[in-house]
Amino acid sequence: MTQQATYSAGPSAVPQADDTLPARRPSSLRRFLERPSNAIFAALALLIVAAAILAPWITPFGYAEIDLLARHQPPSWSHWMGTDQFGRDVLTRVLYGARISLLVGFSSIAIAMVLGTLVGTVAAYVGGIVDDVLMRLIDILMSVPGVVLALAIVAVLEPSLINVIIALSVIRVSQFARVTRGASMVVMKQDYVSAGRVIGMSGSRIISRHILPNIMGPIIVLATVRFGNAILAEATLSFLGVGIQPPEASWGVLIADGYESLFIAPWVSIFPGLALFVTMLAFNMLGDGLRDHFDPSSRTA
Amino acid sequence: MPFDMVLRRLLLAVPTLFGVALLVFLLGELSPGDPAAIALGLDYESGGTADPAQLQAMREQMGLNRPVMERFFDWLGGFLSGDLGQSVVNPALSVSEIMLTALPTTLILTFGTMLVAVLVGIPLGLLSAVYRGGIVDYLARIISIAGSATPTFWFALVLMLVFAYLWPIFPLGGALQDYGLAAIILPVMAVAMHPAALITRLTRAGMLDVLSQDFTRTARAKGLNPRVVVFRHGLRNALIPIITVIGFQLGGIMGGTVAVEAVFSLRGLGKVLLDAIYEHDLYVAQTAVLTIATVFIVVNLLVDILYFVIDPRLRTAQTR
Repeated sequence: MTQQATYSAGPSAVPQADDTLPARRPSSLRRFLERPSNAIFAALALLIVAAAILAPWITPFGYAEIDLLARHQPPSWSHWMGTDQFGRDVLTRVLYGARISLLVGFSSIAIAMVLGTLVGTVAAYVGGIVDDVLMRLIDILMSVPGVVLALAIVAVLEPSLINVIIALSVIRVSQFARVTRGASMVVMKQDYVSAGRVIGMSGSRIISRHILPNIMGPIIVLATVRFGNAILAEATLSFLGVGIQPPEASWGVLIADGYESLFIAPWVSIFPGLALFVTMLAFNMLGDGLRDHFDPSSRTA
Repeated sequence: MPFDMVLRRLLLAVPTLFGVALLVFLLGELSPGDPAAIALGLDYESGGTADPAQLQAMREQMGLNRPVMERFFDWLGGFLSGDLGQSVVNPALSVSEIMLTALPTTLILTFGTMLVAVLVGIPLGLLSAVYRGGIVDYLARIISIAGSATPTFWFALVLMLVFAYLWPIFPLGGALQDYGLAAIILPVMAVAMHPAALITRLTRAGMLDVLSQDFTRTARAKGLNPRVVVFRHGLRNALIPIITVIGFQLGGIMGGTVAVEAVFSLRGLGKVLLDAIYEHDLYVAQTAVLTIATVFIVVNLLVDILYFVIDPRLRTAQTR
């Protein structure tokens, strides 16, 4: 009898979802950060974002401050990353470049996430011809390599910050749509969705109340994993001269600036590239950590 | 080999390609430039100080005053038959010729990259899994983590600096015809970095998964040569997700190629596209995008077919 009592105490706590749900969130974040690698890369990502925001207070130079007497200076105590062909401080430009690179990365991923999720959930929920048409469109978008499609879009729209963000959002929508569609299909087979239908909930309500909360995991993982790719794509476009236009400086613009003088002053290209590397590393690892966190069976590390 | 399955994929590729063509063509229609003005060497946006009569005559000559859909089908027909007329900006060159001379470079870069990525990634992932926790495993993981965070075009610059300037064993850049394979070794290394890193990771994960399954344990328990267990039981099963990923990586590879072609002045389709964009040669740019998409779709199709060759389960599932 006593054994029976202790036995039932455990499972009986589970059905009371109202008690356990609000308490799960902080503990989930805590569990995530308990893995040292997650904590390290989360801190690194925060540090990069902070450096971008605080750029004007970190460096004594202006990002377009020209000093023709100090052209192509190698790294030194006064210029930690050296100077470029106009004597501009490379570290300063890397810090300011982070603002544009991160801005483009965050906004293009956010737009792609919202649009892609909308397309994916609607395709899964409505099904039939709507699903077919949307998925064929996604197939077409995915049949052109992302960077090539982005190049074509920016070339048509004319290179500018906004147009780069638009192009990079367009090429990512398809991935978010596919992932959310797949995940929504799984969720829609659950009893609580049928129950919602039976009691007469509207489609938008079922999507927002039942489907979306249950597919947030894969969406967040995809957004984080793809963030590195998004800033790489921006850098690639800008490097090729069809992205952010000088005098605005993203990391891609800086690497292109240094390309001219690669053999005389390699640091002008090397350091912005390293910044890109560290940022991609931090967000890739964070994404991997999140994936393991949401789906421990996919653990690869 | 389920022939009908391959045929089905092939047939599905046709409407997709048509859709891509339409997308690319309509994108071009949105472009602010006036091809007639560009052909006359005028300022591409406003038409500048063009004599309206002259501009009109040029439009007439280029067939620009015909309806959009008629021009679209003309272009698509020209693309499929290989007769696309002359480039507007460089009238001496035919558009098909520009594509055909660039195509081999793109194909060699793409397949070379896939080959290198597989030849590096699979052995590294295999060793990493077999000697789990050892020094090889540790190194392989560092390489794969760093590799997937390395910006492709920047890595190309670094390779160029080190292996073409500081220690000049490869050319600084230039055409395949002039330097032979030496011209593409650095570009391939640069583009292969990402897919190789990913394949290493997946091979390791897949092998660890397969090696812990019952059938591998049985194979080992009945005294099979460990090498046979690793290769025949392990790798063959681990290969399946890897092939899927090579397909997914293809877009990244072909995108990376564009920038790397620019760095090494290799005249592949990416460079053709970029130059056309710089010169506002709309017609060539559209055709280049469609050619790249065609290569992309065809290679993806090949990867799909490979998938059926390697996984016998898919074959039986389809023929049933």
